[in-house]
Amino acid sequence: MLLVVAVPVLGAILLPLVGRFCTCTRNTLALLMVLASLAGSLMLIGPVMSGQVIHLDFPTGFGHMMLLADRLAVFMALVSSLVGGIIVFYSWGYISHYENQNEYYFLVVLFLGAMMGLVFAANLLVLYIFWEITAIASWRLIGFFRSPAIVLRADKSFLVTFFGATMMLLGFIMVREQAGSWDLPTIKAALVGHPLTNMAVAFILLGILSKSATLPLQTWLPDAGVAPSPVTALLHAAVLVKIGVYAYARLFVVNMPMPEIWHTIVPAIAATSALVAAGAALLETDLKRLIAFSTISQIGFIFLGLSVGGELALAGGLLYILMHGVAKGGLFLCAGIIEQNTHCKDITKLGGLIKTMPVTAIAFLICTFSVIGIPPLGGFFSKYMVIAGAAQGPHLWIVLTFVGTAFLTIIYLMRVFVLVFMGEPKTKLEPEGSPVMVWSVALLALLSIAGGLLIYYPSLFATEATRQILGLIP
Amino acid sequence: MPSLLVIIPLLAVLLLNLPLNFLRRLALPAAVLFAVYQALFAMQLLPASCTACPTHERWFVNVLDPLTSVLLLAIAVVAFASVFVLHATASDEKHGFNAFNLIFLAVAGMNGLVMVRDLFSMYIFLEIASVASFILIAAQRDMGGLEGAFKYLVMSALATMMMLASIALLLAYCGSTSFMVVAEALHAHGSHGYLLTAVGLFLGGLLIKSGIMPFHGWLPDAYAAAPAAASTLIAGIVTKTTGVYALIRLVLHVFGPSVAVQQLLLIFGAISVVAGALAALGQSDMKRMLAYSSISQVGYIVMGLGVAGAANKFAAELGVAGAIFHLFNHAIFKTLLFVNAAAVEKQAGTRDMNQLGGLAQKMPITGLTSLLAMFATAGVPPLAGFWSKLLIIAALWLAGYHGYALLGIGASLLTLAYFLSLQRRVFFGLLRAGCENVREAGWALTVPSLVLAAILLGVGVALPWLIGSFLLPVKGF
Repeated sequence: MLLVVAVPVLGAILLPLVGRFCTCTRNTLALLMVLASLAGSLMLIGPVMSGQVIHLDFPTGFGHMMLLADRLAVFMALVSSLVGGIIVFYSWGYISHYENQNEYYFLVVLFLGAMMGLVFAANLLVLYIFWEITAIASWRLIGFFRSPAIVLRADKSFLVTFFGATMMLLGFIMVREQAGSWDLPTIKAALVGHPLTNMAVAFILLGILSKSATLPLQTWLPDAGVAPSPVTALLHAAVLVKIGVYAYARLFVVNMPMPEIWHTIVPAIAATSALVAAGAALLETDLKRLIAFSTISQIGFIFLGLSVGGELALAGGLLYILMHGVAKGGLFLCAGIIEQNTHCKDITKLGGLIKTMPVTAIAFLICTFSVIGIPPLGGFFSKYMVIAGAAQGPHLWIVLTFVGTAFLTIIYLMRVFVLVFMGEPKTKLEPEGSPVMVWSVALLALLSIAGGLLIYYPSLFATEATRQILGLIP
Repeated sequence: MPSLLVIIPLLAVLLLNLPLNFLRRLALPAAVLFAVYQALFAMQLLPASCTACPTHERWFVNVLDPLTSVLLLAIAVVAFASVFVLHATASDEKHGFNAFNLIFLAVAGMNGLVMVRDLFSMYIFLEIASVASFILIAAQRDMGGLEGAFKYLVMSALATMMMLASIALLLAYCGSTSFMVVAEALHAHGSHGYLLTAVGLFLGGLLIKSGIMPFHGWLPDAYAAAPAAASTLIAGIVTKTTGVYALIRLVLHVFGPSVAVQQLLLIFGAISVVAGALAALGQSDMKRMLAYSSISQVGYIVMGLGVAGAANKFAAELGVAGAIFHLFNHAIFKTLLFVNAAAVEKQAGTRDMNQLGGLAQKMPITGLTSLLAMFATAGVPPLAGFWSKLLIIAALWLAGYHGYALLGIGASLLTLAYFLSLQRRVFFGLLRAGCENVREAGWALTVPSLVLAAILLGVGVALPWLIGSFLLPVKGF
C-alpha cells in the first residue's frame, strides 16, 4: 500500500529529468507509474474483501501517522487510478504538441499520487497535506497555457479551494480539541455517542464543498475549463471533485458522527446545487463549461447518496463515483478531441460532426446515456440506487428535486449531442483525432457499457464496502 | 565556546582590514566558513540544549537554551545567503568590501544579542547590529537608500530612547539589569506603577523595532531602498533578532506573559497580520511587497507569543513553540525571497512587477525556489511554514481565542492571494516583451536559493518526526 502512494509521488520527480533525454521514455514511465498504483490497488482487493483492514503506522509527533486501507479506500483508489491511467494515455496524443510537457507529466503523476495518499490517509493532517498537494498541482495544470486570463482563473480556483481547505483545517483543530487526537481510528473511538460540534462540521464542510465545487463554492470549476482537456477530465470530472465527496464519506460517514440536523442540511445543499447547476448547464453554450456545470449537478447526486443515510443510498453513492468518473471523463476527453480539431468550443457554431468523427460521436453518446442514467449502462444503476435509497428517507421534496434534475440532465446533454454531432455542418469538417485519443474515449465508453452489463462486480464491492462502513460486518 | 561567535567576527574585521591587498579577496571565503561553523555549532547544541533544560527556571543558568540555538542557526543561514548576494551584486570592490565588514559587525552584534542574559548588554549588542544596518542601507548613497536609512534611524532612535529609559528605571528599582534579578523584582512587585511604566516603555520600543503595525512606517522604505545584500540580511534576520527575538525573550523570561501583555500582543499581532497582508496586495514593487509580507508574518509570531500565558498550559507551549519556529521559518523563506528578488533585479533590470512576466521559463531555479518560499509563507503543506502556522493557529484556538484563530487563518488566504499575484506578474504566465534576453542568475545567487529551499522542504517533510523529539517542547501534539 505504501508503494501505491510512493511510486507516483516520488516517481513524479523523476519524470522531468527523464524527459530531458527522451520524451518517449518519460511518457511510458508516467503511464507505468499510474498503472503501478492501479495494480497495487487491485492486489489490495483480495485482503480487504476478506474483511481485513490493513494499516501502516509511523509513530510521529502528530500521532501514529497512518495509512489505512479498507474497502472504501480501495474502491476509491481503483476508480481514480483507472480513470487516471486512461487520461495519461490520452495525454500522449493531446499534449504532444505543446510546450512544458515535462512539467505537465510531473504534475499529473504527482496529482494522482497525492490522490492515492489522500485516499489511504488515516490521519487528519496527512489527509490535509495530500489535499493541498492536489490543489497545488491543479493550480499549475489549470494555468498550463499561461496567458494572463488563464493564469488568473487558475489563481481563482486555487484561492477558492485554499479558502475551503484552511477552514477545514480549523475544523480539524476543533476535532483535535474534542477528540484529543489526529488519528481517525482514535477519533472514531473517542466520538462514540458524542457527535461533533456543529461548528466543526460546518467548517469541515466548507472545505469539502469547495473541493467538490458544490454550491456556494462552485464558481471555480466552470472557469477551470481553460485547462488542457485531459486536465479538465482528470481534475474536474473524474478525480479532483471526487476528493470532497470521498472526504465526506471518510470523515462524516465512517468516522465522525454528525449532529442529526446535518442529515437534512447536506441533502438540501446537494439538491440546490444539483438543480441550479443543471439550470446553468441548460443555458451554457461553451462545451467545456457546460460539461463542468453538469459535473456540479451530478456531484449533488453523490452527496445525496452519501448523506441521506441507509445502505442502498450509500452503496449507490459509491457506485455513482465510479460510473460518473468514467462517463464524465469520457465526455471531457471527447470535448478535447472536438476542441483540438475544430478550434471551437461553442456548441451553437458546431454541427454534423458525426460524419467525420464517428467513433468520438458514438463514445460521446454512450457516455451521455450513462450520465443520464439509461439502462443498461452503468449510470442507470447508480442513479437508481441513490434515488431509491433516498426515497426511503423522510425528505420527499428533496427526492423530487433530484428526479426533476435528472430530467434536466436528459435535456441539456441531448441538446449538446444534437447540436454538435447532428444536423448540418457549420464549420469545415475535421477528421477524427489521433488514434491514441480516440482509443481512450472508446475505452471509457466501453467501460461505461461494461459497468452496466457487469454491474454485479462493482455493486458487490460497493455493497460490501457499505456494510463495512455501517458496521454491519466487522 | 559560545563567546567565540562574537569574538571571531570582530577579529575578522580587524584582520581583513590590515593593509595587505590579498586579504580583501579572502572576505567571502572567510564569511562563508564562519557561517558554516556557526551553523554546525548551533545544530550540535540544539538537541543538547533541549534535553538539558526542560523547565524555564533552568534556562537562566545555562548560557544556551533552544531559543538561542535556533536563532544562532538562523543568523548563520541568513548571513551565508547575504554574503553570496553581496558577492553577486556589489557595484565595485570597495563598496563590496565595506559591506562585508558591516555584515561581520552586524553578525557579531546579533550573536551577542541572542546570547546575553542582561538587559544592558542586550541593549549594547542591539545597537551594534542596528548601526551596522543603517550604514548598510545607506551605503550606495543614493536618494532612496539615504531616505530609508534615515527613517530607520529616526524610528530606531525613538525606540532606543524608550528602552534606555526603561533600563534606567529598572536599574534604579532593582539594583541590577540581569534578567534574573529584574524578573524576580517584577514577580514580587509587578503591579507597581513605576515598574509597569518601565515594562511598557521597553515593549513599546521593541514593537517599533519589530516593525509591528502601526509602528511600521520605516520598514518598507528601509527594505526596498537597501542594496540587495543589505535587504537580505536586514529583512531576513536583523529586524527579527533586534525586535522579535528580544520581544520573545523578554516576554517569556523577564516581564512574564501577564494578561495585559498578552492582550497587547494579540491585538497588535492581529492588526499586523491583516493590515500587512492587505497592504502587500496593493504593491507593484517586488521588494515592497515582500516588506509588507514581513510585517504580516511577524504579526503571526507576535500572536503566537500572545498565547504564552494562557491558562491552558498545552496551548501556551504550542503558541511559544509555534512563534519560535515561525521566527526561524520566516528567516529562511523571507531571505530566500529577497535573494530571488535580487536575482530578478540583477537579471531583468527592474523590480517593477508590471514590467516583468514569464520569467520562470528563463530563470527556472529562481522561479521554482520562489514558488516554494511563497507556499511556505502562505502555510501550504508540506513546507516548513505550514507547521509553524498550524502550531500558532492551534494554540490560539485551544487557548480560547477563537476570533484570533479565524483571523489568522483567513489572513493566510490573503497571503496566498498576494503571492499568487506576484507569481502571475513575475514568474508564471507568458514571457513579456522585453524579457527575452533574461538569463538565469549566476551561481552566487542560485546556490543560496537552492540551499534555503532545501531547508524549507527538508524541515517541512521531516517535521512530524522532529517535532516530538527535539526543536520544540511539544510532546504528543
